[in-house]
Amino acid sequence: MSQRFLNPEVLAGMSGLDLIAKTVVDGFVAGLHRSPDFGFSQEFAEYRAYSPGDDLRHVDWNVFARTERAYLKRYRGETNSQLTVLLDASNSMQFTSHGVSKMDYARYIAASLFYLAIHSQRDAAGLVVFDDEVRNYIRPSTRQGQLARLLGGLELAEPRARTNFAKPIDHLREFLRRRGVVLMISDFFGDPPQIVRTIEPLRFHGNEVVLFHVLDPQEVRPTFREPTVLVDMETSEEMEVTPDYAEREYRGKIDAHLADLRTRTRGAGMDYFLLQTDRPLDAMLREYLTIRQGRN
Amino acid sequence: MGFLAPWFLAGMAAVGLPIYLHLLRRHATTPRPFSSLLFFERRQQSSIRHRRLRYLLLLSLRLALLVLLVLAFANPFVNRTAASVAADKLTLVVVDDSVSMRAGSRLADAKRQAASLLSAHGPAERIQIATLGAELHLLTQPSDDDTTRRAAIASIEPGDSRGSFGELGRAVRLMADGLGTPVELHLFSDLQRSKMPPSFTDMVFPANVTLVLHPVVDGARAPNWAVESVTAPGQVWGTPQPGKAVGIQAVIAGYSTPEATRTATLAINGKTIATRMVQVPAGGRVTVPFPSLDVPYGFSRCEVKIDSADALAADDVYRFAVERSDPPKALFVHAAIDSRSPLYVGNAMAAAAQSAFVLQPVTTEQAANLRFSDYAFVILSNVASLPAEVESDLVKYVRGGGNVLVAMGTAAVKRARIPVFGDAVQEARNYGSDLSNGQERFLSIGEIDRSHPSVDKTGNWSDVRFYFAVRVGATDARVVARLTDQTPLLLDKKIGEGHVLLFTSGFDNLTNDLPLHPTFVPFIEESAQYLAGVARTGGARVVDSFVELRGQIDPRETLVGVEIIDPNGRRPLSLTEAATAQSFRLTQAGFYQVRMSNGRRDLIGVNPDRRASNLEVLPTEVQALWRGERSASSPVPPVAPVAVAAAGQAAEPVKKPFSLWWYAMLLVLAAALLESWLASRYLSVQAEES
Repeated sequence: MSQRFLNPEVLAGMSGLDLIAKTVVDGFVAGLHRSPDFGFSQEFAEYRAYSPGDDLRHVDWNVFARTERAYLKRYRGETNSQLTVLLDASNSMQFTSHGVSKMDYARYIAASLFYLAIHSQRDAAGLVVFDDEVRNYIRPSTRQGQLARLLGGLELAEPRARTNFAKPIDHLREFLRRRGVVLMISDFFGDPPQIVRTIEPLRFHGNEVVLFHVLDPQEVRPTFREPTVLVDMETSEEMEVTPDYAEREYRGKIDAHLADLRTRTRGAGMDYFLLQTDRPLDAMLREYLTIRQGRN
Repeated sequence: MGFLAPWFLAGMAAVGLPIYLHLLRRHATTPRPFSSLLFFERRQQSSIRHRRLRYLLLLSLRLALLVLLVLAFANPFVNRTAASVAADKLTLVVVDDSVSMRAGSRLADAKRQAASLLSAHGPAERIQIATLGAELHLLTQPSDDDTTRRAAIASIEPGDSRGSFGELGRAVRLMADGLGTPVELHLFSDLQRSKMPPSFTDMVFPANVTLVLHPVVDGARAPNWAVESVTAPGQVWGTPQPGKAVGIQAVIAGYSTPEATRTATLAINGKTIATRMVQVPAGGRVTVPFPSLDVPYGFSRCEVKIDSADALAADDVYRFAVERSDPPKALFVHAAIDSRSPLYVGNAMAAAAQSAFVLQPVTTEQAANLRFSDYAFVILSNVASLPAEVESDLVKYVRGGGNVLVAMGTAAVKRARIPVFGDAVQEARNYGSDLSNGQERFLSIGEIDRSHPSVDKTGNWSDVRFYFAVRVGATDARVVARLTDQTPLLLDKKIGEGHVLLFTSGFDNLTNDLPLHPTFVPFIEESAQYLAGVARTGGARVVDSFVELRGQIDPRETLVGVEIIDPNGRRPLSLTEAATAQSFRLTQAGFYQVRMSNGRRDLIGVNPDRRASNLEVLPTEVQALWRGERSASSPVPPVAPVAVAAAGQAAEPVKKPFSLWWYAMLLVLAAALLESWLASRYLSVQAEES
């Protein structure tokens, strides 16, 4: 059966991130096969002796083969985890070519993940909004009303200034002492070795770091009908570019950049996931969680 | 080089539009925000230069398109010498084959001179051969085949039409307009003065036509006698009666002739009946009476001949046809109480000189048992009521070619609609009572159309008093006569193949006093002849006149074929033409046998137009004027063909403006196509990019 996904432009017509998040998450969770393994708490914790009535699917059959005793695998998720989203709110995130800006798309993604973590997993979730410094920080928590606070933080995150990963991440290392999942959502326009080098320290406390690379389709495959003067949204620099260049050389460069970033990110033990704003949000989430599940 | 409409050059300012679009507007690019220029480089040099080159090509094409369009409207021209356009010149050789060319050896001389002209011209020149009668007939296409041209000239036979220089002018003007190249017109003719149109401008040629006249006669006047006209009835009835002998009158005319005695002969069916010696005054005419026209039953071919012994024999005989038949019957339908109308009409018919209709008066009740096709015509007089089947039969009778005279009267006013005629009775006007308080108690004739056969010889109507008339509703009938208050008195309506004459007053001497006036008898006689179809055909016609074969073709009715046998015994109409032709042109002199669509047979004597009998030649001043020479004071000698050719070669080259409009428009088309192609290529590149 074909899965029907939610067009980002349809989501943009909804009012309220909570509704968007609920629509996205409920929609794609309902479309999945029943599985207990989706979520952020996928790390192995301990074994427990089997007792009648337990789900046989959790029996570790390797141990049973060696010892002829049935043990169940327990997961860390059952002991609660922590999700922190780092949202890039620089000016370049305003760019859009089809109605949904990268910032909007990032908000939807973050809102959906918060909803998934808090409602489905009972995990703590927090938010860091940054550009060249930290503009908003909502501590990860499972308290009552945390989802509303997070969504409010997302609503207030308006793009401005330029991106600078170094300064905010220096601050963040102070906050992210408890192990958890750190999701960084950005367009990552910069030098890939430097980006990876800057972000890599987030892993040192045992955090699982995932880079969500949000790009507009025009940034991946730009098309111009005639020679055009482009203005950089962060530096205000102007440049006259030609359709021929955008057609050939730019595409080569952006492809190389994406490949380099992906390689270096994974080489540093982090996850990398490319999100294009013209693709359905729930499809992207489903794809990401499927990959994550496979990795665990 | 020049411009015929230089004001259009102001449109050249429009070239500023593409310049603005290409050069000025192109720089007004709105900067587009982009998230990061990290991966872009400035590469405008090579790519923009290439694009500019392509734009400049498109720009230059658009500029050229506008400039050429403006030039085309400004109508540029160059002055080309006549020698440069001589290759396009058409030589039109026209040989006059009208009836006057039958005189002496005129046609043979004309053909010989035309053949000499062909020899003088090279075989490579484009020459077209034509003949001139009442119309210009092209015998060949413009051709350089000498054999075809000579064969065409040899095939020219004398015709019977009267030549018309006006028709020559009209036809050559049309040809010259279509060709656009110089035309050298050689006219071989007797240059008869009577061929001139009423207005000289009708025979003037356009500027690119050069007229060379080749007169085939010298300036001397040629004497010619002719039978100018014959007055004879087209039809006689019954056996000749004493005191009612039918005679004819012939007019013998002389043109540029001395006083002479001529012998006039009347021949019927080839047999000479009577001969008269007449003295024809110098350049005058004389009337010759033949008191008795004793023709047998049926159609007779009659001719009046003179022994003129002049050069033109074609006008020495005048042909006409006379038909003798039993007196036709005419049906007079009247109301039972009306005994006055048949009395007056019957007496008028009996008193008529040349009509011998047998009038059969019947009442409306008796008419139901009669077959109308047995009667030459039907008169309905003061009919108050007419049985529906009788009216239906009458309408069929009229549609099939029968004719009806309807006379209204006081009794007929009771009807809302006029029988057979079909139109509604709008108002009955009783002038005796309407105008009782005024001075007039009657009305008179207001106007009368003398061209209608029923009233053309009826004399004076002014004394006739009308006390009563009926006004009919809107009608498509021809009004022949009106009263002084504009009430139509006599109307003629064509229904199918037949006619209905409507007399809106009566014949009973109560509604008017017409039956007591002398004009009543010729009115009844002329109307009877018209209704009987006698006056319609007549016995003689002029060449190139038309004979009406049928009325309006009704697509619902089956087409009945007509038949025509020309003087040579041939049938000139094809089967299709015989089924559809409404008229036929009589092109030859002689006797034509005609069977019309209503079944009536006729014999028509056709004679050449007697205006061609005057062989007087155009004055030399008029000839010079026609040739377009400015000074007509010096006599213009006839120009020999060979001399014309030589003069054409030695003459000063005449410069003529040659318009380049057409070439400019061709270039506009080419530029437009190229521009479209280039622009579409550019757009296709855009499509690929997108």
